[in-house]
Amino acid sequence: MTTWKDILNDQIPEDVGYEIDTFEAQIELRKQNKLDEKVFAESRLRKGAYGQRYDNGQRNDGIRTRELTFPSGDLVKGPDTYWDAPGMQRIKIPYGGLTAEQLDVLSELADEYADGILHITTRQDIQLHYVHIDDTPDLMRRLAAVGITTQEACGNSVRNITACTLAGVCHDEVFDVSPYADAMTQFLLGHDDVQDFGRKFKVAFSGCEGHACGLVKMHDLGLLAQTREVDGETIKGFMVFVGGGLGTVPQQAKVLADFVSEEKLLPLTQAIARVFARLGEKKNRNRARLKFLVSQLGIEEFRRLVQEELEVVPHDDRHTAYLDELGDFTYEPAKAGMSLNGTPLPQGFDDWYRTNNYKQVQAGYSTITLNVPLGDFTSRQGFQLADIARRYVGDNIRLSVEQNIVLRWVADADLPALYRELDEVGLADSGAGTIVDITSCPGTDTCKLGIASSRGLTSELRTRLIEKINLLPDAVRELKIKVSGCFNSCGQHHVADIGFFGNSRRAGNHKMPHFQVVLGGQWNENAGAYGLAVGAVPAKRVPDVLEALTNRYVDERADDENFQTWVKNLGRKAIKEMLTPYMQLATFEEKPEFFTDWGDSRVYTIDDIGVGECAGEVVSLFSMEISRAESTHFEALVALDEGKYELADEQAYKAMVLAARALVRTKFLDVGDDYDNIVNEFRTRFYDTELVYDRFAKGKFARYLFNRHDNTPAKANEDHAHNIIDEAQLFIENIHSAEQRINGVIVS
Amino acid sequence: MTTVPKRLAVKFNLKNTPSIQPKDIVPIFQRWIQEHTVEGMLIDVIDYKHVADGPGVILIADEGDYGYDLGDGEVGLQYIRKRALPENLSDALRLVIRLAYIASQRLEDEGLEGVTFDYSSAKITFLDRKSYRNQPSAFDAVQSELVEFLTGLYGDEVSVTRAYDDPRELFAVRYSIANDLNVNTLETNLNIVANAIS
Repeated sequence: MTTWKDILNDQIPEDVGYEIDTFEAQIELRKQNKLDEKVFAESRLRKGAYGQRYDNGQRNDGIRTRELTFPSGDLVKGPDTYWDAPGMQRIKIPYGGLTAEQLDVLSELADEYADGILHITTRQDIQLHYVHIDDTPDLMRRLAAVGITTQEACGNSVRNITACTLAGVCHDEVFDVSPYADAMTQFLLGHDDVQDFGRKFKVAFSGCEGHACGLVKMHDLGLLAQTREVDGETIKGFMVFVGGGLGTVPQQAKVLADFVSEEKLLPLTQAIARVFARLGEKKNRNRARLKFLVSQLGIEEFRRLVQEELEVVPHDDRHTAYLDELGDFTYEPAKAGMSLNGTPLPQGFDDWYRTNNYKQVQAGYSTITLNVPLGDFTSRQGFQLADIARRYVGDNIRLSVEQNIVLRWVADADLPALYRELDEVGLADSGAGTIVDITSCPGTDTCKLGIASSRGLTSELRTRLIEKINLLPDAVRELKIKVSGCFNSCGQHHVADIGFFGNSRRAGNHKMPHFQVVLGGQWNENAGAYGLAVGAVPAKRVPDVLEALTNRYVDERADDENFQTWVKNLGRKAIKEMLTPYMQLATFEEKPEFFTDWGDSRVYTIDDIGVGECAGEVVSLFSMEISRAESTHFEALVALDEGKYELADEQAYKAMVLAARALVRTKFLDVGDDYDNIVNEFRTRFYDTELVYDRFAKGKFARYLFNRHDNTPAKANEDHAHNIIDEAQLFIENIHSAEQRINGVIVS
Repeated sequence: MTTVPKRLAVKFNLKNTPSIQPKDIVPIFQRWIQEHTVEGMLIDVIDYKHVADGPGVILIADEGDYGYDLGDGEVGLQYIRKRALPENLSDALRLVIRLAYIASQRLEDEGLEGVTFDYSSAKITFLDRKSYRNQPSAFDAVQSELVEFLTGLYGDEVSVTRAYDDPRELFAVRYSIANDLNVNTLETNLNIVANAIS
């Protein structure tokens, strides 16, 4: 039967296809219990294939905790993560930039592999939920055929690189950061120096300082566009921030460098990554983000270490090659810019225009934000939107960190027609960026760590606020609300005017869902300040709390006093007093509805909380790399079975080289990908020193590699293929043994 | 032999616009999990009522999902079989129609105002673009087998039409019978025993 691999073979870059084939081989190895579950989990996470709630085989149905007996029995895809349990596929969309064709394919995949819904994340990714792990290789191939990767979308890796959706069309930006975000994405993807982190690493670009823009101050690495005049010439570069982050311990990033020229951007990033990989925490994942390393060392010492590292970063043509291509990064509008003059305006247009439109710096063009409820849209809406994009903006589509879709380069004259078409497909809600446009993480709907229903609360607040949006004063309408299902801040509650994160409290013999109220966070100035937690209220009281807060703000604020200032001036004590009446806990008998969560009829429980995969397992670099050798060896076996003897020979040889490389990289990270270098380094470091010698066979297994490296067979027949596959197997086993002898116990 | 799609769905629409809201379905589906009202390993309920013409409220199960579906602007009960499909198309169709029918009956049993289904017509969706691109050729390839199977199932003349023209959409067909529905014939042919899940 024809496979997606057959169909798309010519459309997928060879290296990307190889990565997907390797992952597919790892799936088979895991099914045969030939690949460690933790190693597979980290591999899977680095492909963006994430676990979901209840994948540990247990779910409380409101009466009792039921066992979910999946068909594949005890087979797991990670610790306590059953094979058949529905999972989430995260798909990286660098700086949120999408083409119409890519949107079409994403929509197809949502139909066929998920539940028909595409979800926009707070990192400009797309997530598909309820995906079976067996479907992921084909899903990835179909994405790869249109230039999208899921590589390193999760796990201890460089996550999707984000940037402001207005980059390139903004009035206030220093310059367009989009091509830099694109170049860094390409440079870091799969780079050797970003494979050994103890935790994830988030990067953002921003074109200006004053707006929210790229939120660089809450990132591990934040890059703020700057220019300098040098000898009468304007030099482009970036102010560099490091060590920011939200999570349970939010920290504002610190300035690593006031200005780094564009030529130095990639080597500096590489140096930072190398310092983080070398010195970052590996055992305690709760303290493994870069922010902890920067705090521990102090920014001065961290800066010194990065500078020192920068001097030994190996030369790489790619450090500056992208600069020659910056000029190619242009935008092609679908239409010429034309002003909006005299066209009859449809009903609802004015509200929509006021809140969802941004006049671009380019005359005659607008950027339109689609207010997407909870970041969800259907596959059909995806197709329809792709068509609308083709008609009005071409490939100028972006996803935003506020879980919306942005259409750039709309000719102003087309705005009424665009509004009508968006309205027909249910995507013309006004209120983008206002109080009704609430950000929410998945929470208890699908996240293993969720404590309370962030989406349920968001849906409720959104419904209530939309009903009265026209009655709200401007000062309230402009507030931002963000909701997380737990303290991990995926909903970015720290940088909202009013944030909520889920927790629970005991009331008698029952647990009651609560939300901690976080006030006074700053979205502007690149997430310039974090809000303060002021108290936890029962989930069902949150709408009342919101109303009390906003009413008092409107009544008491001084002229032009913004929410952050009002909160600061009011003081934590007064706010706590205001919230106290809402904090009273009723008994189960008095208020049974308080013991269910929003959008959920079950009696609330925290029994369903699982172990998060957000950080991935801490698996050694060697374990990850040797697993690639084993997968490649498996591919060789498949080729042998299919009578493709030359391919089998190549794969077996490659498996040996990858195994040797895995061992070499435990001592010499910069060995690179060149086969000659790898074999030479292996020979010098491990064979000549007899470190790789087996007790009985001595250097025999290593010589399998040397023989094949030095003697390419003229034509590989079945016997030869069989032999070299056997030799590769023995060589890989030898490398495993040697690594344990040399480096001690493997963390896996 | 006609290829069985990777996933296969059947949707029965409500006869009339219901007075209930999609959110009213959430507690019902959650109770169905507690009471194991419909077949399958029932896992969770997900609420997409906020999405226009979307999947509505879905009862996620391992083998297949039950949805109070709002797609195409039509409210109905859709069953999507995701795995463990029989190896020939007729058996697969029988299974999926049967489970969609039983779930629809169970929802009618809830006594919700306006919730009665039209079993004389339905939409069948082939969720597999590799084997079934939404082209006229796909329809030509399965039309006769579908008509033959559905005619046998209903004991009546059946007309089948392609549901969508857009080639990006999933391949889907709509069918309807020529005369009044004979429930006994349908239930007999679906092997449905009164008051039994399966």
